[in-house]
Amino acid sequence: MAGCNCGDEKTVIITACSGAANTGLLADQVARRLRSQKLGSMSCLAALGAELSGYVESARSADRNIVLDGCPVACGAKIYARLGLHHDEYLLTNYGVEKGKTEITDELVAVIAERVKADIEMKRD
Amino acid sequence: MKVQILGTGCPKCRALEERAREAISVSGIEARIEKVTDVETIMAMGVMMTPALAIDGTVRSVGRVLTKGQIIAYLKGGQ
Repeated sequence: MAGCNCGDEKTVIITACSGAANTGLLADQVARRLRSQKLGSMSCLAALGAELSGYVESARSADRNIVLDGCPVACGAKIYARLGLHHDEYLLTNYGVEKGKTEITDELVAVIAERVKADIEMKRD
Repeated sequence: MKVQILGTGCPKCRALEERAREAISVSGIEARIEKVTDVETIMAMGVMMTPALAIDGTVRSVGRVLTKGQIIAYLKGGQ
């Protein structure tokens, strides 16, 4: 949702690489959960990859960009880096998930989302 | 040239519009201003914070009240 920037509220944008593997599914689901918990607004990584100007300039102006990469290929972080956009990457295989192996359940999404959220908040503080 | 001011009418949006009008006047560049207030349209342009400024459909600035000089630079095709 587009928000007015008249206040002092920090702008946090969350994007996820929802690639073809199980880890992409997890990244997408974790991002949606973090958005529902009001940690930030979710944006579209594909739109950034396509260099659509509104998405790129929104990310450039955000106080913080959270990038959830499912696997070490790190497409999300690479897109941000190529565009010269500041970002914090969270790599979900660092949370005990194995690409191509781990079954993505609602319970796992909830657990990983809580751990990622704690790491995000720790870095913020 | 089309200059779009994206925002729902907050004070910063009005300030950006005013500066854009001044920039167009001072620079002598032929341009028309279009106000975009519909949130769905703003979102469709990928803009997540307002005010924003777009020139000929390309978003150049989001969430900031640009100076007159910055707007003139954009009107002239600069960064």
